[in-house]
Amino acid sequence: MSLRVLNPNAEVLNKSAALHMNINAAKGLQDVLKTNLGPKGTIKMLVGGAGDIKLTKDGNTLLKEMQIQNPTAIMIARTAVAQDDISGDGTTSTVLFIGELMKQSDRYIDEGMHPRVLVDGFEIAKRATLQFLEKFKTPVVMGDEPDKEILKMVARTTLRTKLYEALADQLTDIVVNAVLCIRKPEEAIDLFMVEIMHMRHKFDVDTRLVEGLVLDHGSRHPDMKRRAENCYILTCNVSLEYEKSEINAGFFYSSAEQREAMVAAERRSVDERVRKIIELKNEVCSGNDNNFIVINQKGIDPPSLDLLARAGIIALRRAKRRNMERLVLACGGEAVNSVDDLTPDCLGWAGLVYEHVLGEEKYTFVENVKNPHSCTILIKGPNDHTIAQIKDAVRDGLRAVKNTIEDEAVVMGAGAFEVAARQYLINEVKKTVQGRAQLGVEAFADALLVIPKTLAENSGLDTQDVIISLTGEHDRGNVVGLNQHTGEPIDPQMEGIFDNYSVKRQIINSGPVIASQLLLVDEVIRAGRNMRKPT
Amino acid sequence: MREIVTVQVGGFANFIGSHFWNFQDELLGLAEDPNADEIFKNPLLDVDVLYRSGETHQGILTYTPRLVSVDLQGTLGSMSSRGTLYNVDSQAASEVNTWRGTVSTHASEPHQKNLFLQSLEEEQNPTERKGKKIDSQREYQEKDIVECLENGVKFWTDYSKVHYHPQSLYELSGLWMDVEDFDNYGIGREALSSGHQEDISERLRFFVEECDHIQGFQFIVDDSGGFSAVAAEFLENIADEYTNTPVLLYTTRGPASYMNLGQKKHKVVRGLHDAVSFSRLSSLCKLIVPLGLPSLSRSKASAYLSIKDEKPYHCSAVYAAALHSTSLPFRMQSVGRAADSQDVSGAVSVSDLVEILSGNARKNMVAILDMAMPAPSLSGRDVGQSMLGHLHPVTYEIAEDVEDSQAMETLNIHGVIGQGGHYASVSEVKDYIHAAYEHANAMPKFCHLSVARTPLPIPLPFPRIFSSLVGGQGKLLGEPIAGSLSRGSVDVHSIPIGTRLRSSIAILPHLENRLTHLQRFGIQRGAAGSELLRGWGFGRDELEEMGECLTRMVMELKPQAIMSDDSD
Repeated sequence: MSLRVLNPNAEVLNKSAALHMNINAAKGLQDVLKTNLGPKGTIKMLVGGAGDIKLTKDGNTLLKEMQIQNPTAIMIARTAVAQDDISGDGTTSTVLFIGELMKQSDRYIDEGMHPRVLVDGFEIAKRATLQFLEKFKTPVVMGDEPDKEILKMVARTTLRTKLYEALADQLTDIVVNAVLCIRKPEEAIDLFMVEIMHMRHKFDVDTRLVEGLVLDHGSRHPDMKRRAENCYILTCNVSLEYEKSEINAGFFYSSAEQREAMVAAERRSVDERVRKIIELKNEVCSGNDNNFIVINQKGIDPPSLDLLARAGIIALRRAKRRNMERLVLACGGEAVNSVDDLTPDCLGWAGLVYEHVLGEEKYTFVENVKNPHSCTILIKGPNDHTIAQIKDAVRDGLRAVKNTIEDEAVVMGAGAFEVAARQYLINEVKKTVQGRAQLGVEAFADALLVIPKTLAENSGLDTQDVIISLTGEHDRGNVVGLNQHTGEPIDPQMEGIFDNYSVKRQIINSGPVIASQLLLVDEVIRAGRNMRKPT
Repeated sequence: MREIVTVQVGGFANFIGSHFWNFQDELLGLAEDPNADEIFKNPLLDVDVLYRSGETHQGILTYTPRLVSVDLQGTLGSMSSRGTLYNVDSQAASEVNTWRGTVSTHASEPHQKNLFLQSLEEEQNPTERKGKKIDSQREYQEKDIVECLENGVKFWTDYSKVHYHPQSLYELSGLWMDVEDFDNYGIGREALSSGHQEDISERLRFFVEECDHIQGFQFIVDDSGGFSAVAAEFLENIADEYTNTPVLLYTTRGPASYMNLGQKKHKVVRGLHDAVSFSRLSSLCKLIVPLGLPSLSRSKASAYLSIKDEKPYHCSAVYAAALHSTSLPFRMQSVGRAADSQDVSGAVSVSDLVEILSGNARKNMVAILDMAMPAPSLSGRDVGQSMLGHLHPVTYEIAEDVEDSQAMETLNIHGVIGQGGHYASVSEVKDYIHAAYEHANAMPKFCHLSVARTPLPIPLPFPRIFSSLVGGQGKLLGEPIAGSLSRGSVDVHSIPIGTRLRSSIAILPHLENRLTHLQRFGIQRGAAGSELLRGWGFGRDELEEMGECLTRMVMELKPQAIMSDDSD
């Protein structure tokens, strides 16, 4: 109230209007994202004001591209994006689930039910569903050699919702192999150790996994080799360019000679560093025709490049910080920060290093490495928006594989879990609940069906038929999902349709929280802008 | 050659940048144009310092600014974020190759290209238009273009005639808020996810990797809102990655950011924003130059200009001219110490400049920018004062008329007109300035002078901001020219310009205001904004450290501090 006293222009929405505003915003967002879901969904082409094209079938990307203004919608969108940050998938499902919870609640509230009671029911249903998920999930034993088939099934399930089948299947192998490559026993998987590099080139099916590393720059000296075999790799973070060092700052030269002397001294110390690298090269490469590559995170200026080139060394400057780590994981050796105690042990190894030039873009491939723990997925596509879309899909695929390994479990997909959970809530849980909170459980249970319903809708099937035949099968004790082509029930296990356990758990966890918060809002006060305008 | 990479962050910074690159583009054009004045063909002003050469996939050579620009999504207007040079054929682009199912297209309404951008397009595709145009007709058309820009500039791209590299323009997406809500440090901090940060740093790395020997970063930030935080994160990354490369930071703000200061709450937020933003940014660069007056139109700096404060298009043009002038010495090729050319003299590198201004006994890293636009000719009546007297500050919240015998200065003078109406030679300017300082009441401790004979060219899309006292070559006239009140690119083709960076105690009020705001609203017990600062993610320790840092900056400049130093 005090705000209204302060600002008489502040707009106040009372209880039912506030609720309806929230419900409508949730529904609105749901409508936008609905068509994304599943392997039969619609891909969206967004054309900006200047004709820029973006292509997406990913809820997360789509939300980020939207200019959302409605505060409720922003809240839901933030939850959904957080979902993506945490588990890498499930953005669309989160938005759909929240929207559907609001929609179901709308019915009961119109009949005079208090939101508080509904929210209590949600809470009970949420806990029961999470328990059910524990029972329902399919455990996967990871051990030292993970079951590649199950990983592939999970990756394929995600990728097929983003890309056409042939490409999705090709990428499935790539992402699974990439994650297995960087996986180390007893350590968390760091997906950053998979570099995702792209080239604007030819066709999307040229996308491949490079065991090793692809850098997006090349050497900067005309005399350096463009291709070398049997290479020692020195990964370093040492400045090889003349620069005024910090200590000299504030120093005023009293004469031109003094200045020259300072410059010369500084130059000498750079040359000294270069010389040490060349010494190491001579040590390891004498008497054989092996090659020597320097990959430096800092700069290398032309005089230093000259010296290195004359010694037959290939040198790359200003490598990405992350590539320092990746290089060591891919080639071995260690990243050095000083050239003072260089030993041959610091060096990594690669069977082949070569440069690829496309216009002004240069790429350096470091391949044929031994026992790599870092790799690169090289995406090729004819234009930027295609590349961007494949990149998004690859990221999702990688996350799905990582989740599976960490969860040590998967959940049957194609709507099977949602239908099963709904039956469980209606048949078992509801009875145990006292009073009107039962209706909250029922609303929650029905809201879960939004996933199979939307899958059916996107495939052009009749939602009611589908739900009836699916629930029928479940009542007979068969766990089935939806065949998107025929509308018939299928066994997700047979078809290899699996979702991530952690993604499902996260959706069930966060969806009701936001929905409850929005339902319990009984007054909206907003000073300034008119909020009744549509999003 | 020593490269500079330019970074522009935020709305007003990009407005300035757009003018800045228009000047460079105009200079490039004039240098190649056989009909242009000889004065613009100055090989000693190296454009490669700011530009990079490249090549498209089709093998067409390109020449584009070495620039990373960051702005909110939707602020590029009708320009594609990929620029125009590197585009593949658009037919293949609209095919969807990755999905066999249904496709739905959501097209936002295309931004109309204004008359100016249309005329640029026509120039590039000359096949569509044949036949010779009569000069008067062209003049007429140019007038229309100027008129349309005068009334219709909405985005900085509306008046840009430069081709940008696809890596240059970065849009922050997924903020879900209006531009006007993106107005404080906290919001900016929240908005910048790690994904954005990495993408932006990658863009920068692309340009730095190409440099054989980078001399520094020229960083322009709109520090009136959330972009301060974006810039701070970015600068932190630069400081980490390119430790020894100096950053010259211009913090700018449009006059619009001074409006809406009515309510007390706003004042607290603004005060804290300014304090936090200043102390964060200054800790991450080598030299900081605050730019932007609350009312440029009423300031002394615009005595010969007629500016509308509410138009960022106008104000940014003035600051861009100043930036151009201060960046010229970085581009001068030093022809050896002894033999200075008659066309340019006084080359400094970014780190030299930093050393001159802040590396002295007094470690003051906040410089004041003064400018004279247009600069007076050397044949002025009262020889002694006219050039120095024309230099007026465009830095805000500073003390006027303070004498500081410890001041350090760099003075840049370009294209001034000497005796007899021709461009003054370097030695003429040198002698003149020398004489001027001899006569002046207060002398700085040290002054570095850079001179170039090349004036500032006025490109067609430059706003109509010159008053009727400015002649065709930027000469200041005694009598106003009859006719229109304001003159633009059609009437004025180039102007002489003078700028001065000075490190002086005049900056004290600027520092002290920030310190007081931080203490009163943020640090003191029960301060009005302590809750707010916590929301922005600043802990108490961090704030106290900022306070100490500002105090140190103030103490460095206090006269009594110097006294006590002396007594030691």
